[in-house]
Amino acid sequence: MGMSWITRLAKQAPVPVFVAIVDDAPVDMARLALHPDLSLVDSPRAAAILLVAGTLPDALMPHLQRLHDQLPHPRATVQWQSSRVGGLSDASISVSRDDDIVAALKEIRDALMSGARQSEPDLLPDVPPNEWRGVGPHGQGGKGMMGGTPYGRPMAKRAEDIRDGLKLDAYTADLGPFLPMFPPGLMLRLSLQGDVIQTVGVTHPPFDCDWDQGAAMLRLLGLPALGERSLRPKSQDDLALTRLIRFSGCRRAIPPGLGRTRDGSDVRDRFARLMAAPVDPIIPDIGETTLGDLLVGCEWHEAMLVLNSFDSGSLRRLCAYTSARDKQSGTDTQEHGAHDPHAGHTT
Amino acid sequence: MSLAVEIAALIAALTAGILIAAILDEGCRAWVAGRGRVSPLAPLRVAAAHLLRQRLSTEAPDRMTWFLAIAGYLALAATGLALVPIGPNTALLGLNSGVVLWGACEALVVVVVFLHGWSPNAPLALIGAYRYVAIGLPIMLLSMFVLIAAALPARSLDLREIVTSQAGLWNVIRQPLGLPLFLFLGLSLTLRGPFDYADSSDLAGGTSSEDSGANRAGWQIARLAMLTGFSAVAASAFLGGYLGPVLPGLIWLILKTLVVMVVIIALTHLLARMPAARMLTLIWTVLLPLSFAHLLWAGLEALS
Repeated sequence: MGMSWITRLAKQAPVPVFVAIVDDAPVDMARLALHPDLSLVDSPRAAAILLVAGTLPDALMPHLQRLHDQLPHPRATVQWQSSRVGGLSDASISVSRDDDIVAALKEIRDALMSGARQSEPDLLPDVPPNEWRGVGPHGQGGKGMMGGTPYGRPMAKRAEDIRDGLKLDAYTADLGPFLPMFPPGLMLRLSLQGDVIQTVGVTHPPFDCDWDQGAAMLRLLGLPALGERSLRPKSQDDLALTRLIRFSGCRRAIPPGLGRTRDGSDVRDRFARLMAAPVDPIIPDIGETTLGDLLVGCEWHEAMLVLNSFDSGSLRRLCAYTSARDKQSGTDTQEHGAHDPHAGHTT
Repeated sequence: MSLAVEIAALIAALTAGILIAAILDEGCRAWVAGRGRVSPLAPLRVAAAHLLRQRLSTEAPDRMTWFLAIAGYLALAATGLALVPIGPNTALLGLNSGVVLWGACEALVVVVVFLHGWSPNAPLALIGAYRYVAIGLPIMLLSMFVLIAAALPARSLDLREIVTSQAGLWNVIRQPLGLPLFLFLGLSLTLRGPFDYADSSDLAGGTSSEDSGANRAGWQIARLAMLTGFSAVAASAFLGGYLGPVLPGLIWLILKTLVVMVVIIALTHLLARMPAARMLTLIWTVLLPLSFAHLLWAGLEALS
């Protein structure tokens, strides 16, 4: 009896959806973000439904499978306007262009809650991504507590810090391709010390699709409500929005000179043009700039602002130069990682 | 009052505070976002939905500290609220050194937030944890200057005395910089808006990015509890607490607490957050000197 009222209450909550945006994602994503019956969450841990928007390339399927297993039970997968078969749970539901996606999501969530629909089991076995290859008391493989590659993941080791000379543990991981603060599809191999980026390699370039850059930048600047407002139809004529954005001090919050490209524009300039009415994005002159030139030495938050300040075309060019440069200097990201350095954190 | 009644009253006050804070937050967010009306039940529905979902674990988490972080955050919020005087010489936790205990609570918030980011054994959560500590330390210094300044006119570190000392003039007028600086601390203690360096969206939720089910609900509730505790302490230290004409003291205290709460919530949704390095520069070169000047001003004013 006690559970029934709590279930009834929970059924009135917006459906928490984690969206994996794919190449040919439907263009009306903004409509989902604005719908009062949905809540697009930042982490799969907070979601009940994994929504795959578009058709996923095979190469990224393992990442989606790992993502899937990070949703808490009861959970379901919905493929929206996707032509894919297989790879995901057999029970996953396909929703075509003509169907009402919001109604479908609500129906599935309600069925999950009432138990009419079974929760999807894990797609991958719940084991470490690599074998235990350690020696020593903790299997870490190195000397004492340092070094080694337990479960195929290199232990964090102290390395030179490029910023202040303070030696800290460097940590290398593949991040993406569904991280909510990354442009869709982008997957980077980053070495981090604390939150400062030391090296950047491109594992997968972003998809060639537009995303709501202005709203993404506002969210990164801690203004999700204003970001939501900027997605509304006719937000161009919303004088209050323009005023609120100005008074929030978001332009001043962005460090000057951050992510400067050859044409002299920095994140501040690109942000200002995204916020202009009408939106008038800068297509910066990339030249032969690499992501490393822009991101190395940035702290995490700054790096996210830099990444989201570029349109997908410019970002794809940046990624192409970065990969080409890495190949030239023989540090191909694919080579120095015979093992997957950090499977499991593709949140 | 017996101890059991006192504790029950504290829990009731905290629960009411959490509910009101959640509704105000949702309402303010919807207003800024240009959304339609929101139901006052909305936060309860979301909490219920969280509770019905599985509590997932990560690979090799620190389960004990994960639980302790959430429980500790709630306990610190409750301690703050218990220190607040509800009438002349009446407080659940009447201490001669109440301000010192509150200062300890503030410092321990840094510890519990760090533990919350540490526990899931995941990179984004840990980055949030480290970043919070980097910002937390100078913010605590700022808070100490501001609180000592508030204690000077009372010549006491007792929160009850600090309220009594404002009978003629509230600290918010006597020490005009005090409340604005203290509000920054409040944003930091509750992981909000411009000072949310732990749970921000550039880290997909930071320390709470790996929380699911009851853990997620628990952490969000603890944040709202801290908002309640902080607002009540700020209302007492700067807005004269229970002091006021006509209405009973408790009503005044509640009204002033709500005012502080609304201001914090509004700042959350209206002020941008700068990258941590830029914020550190701002705190060390502008806010801390400002708070020291504020302390000097309060000291000279108390001497005269």
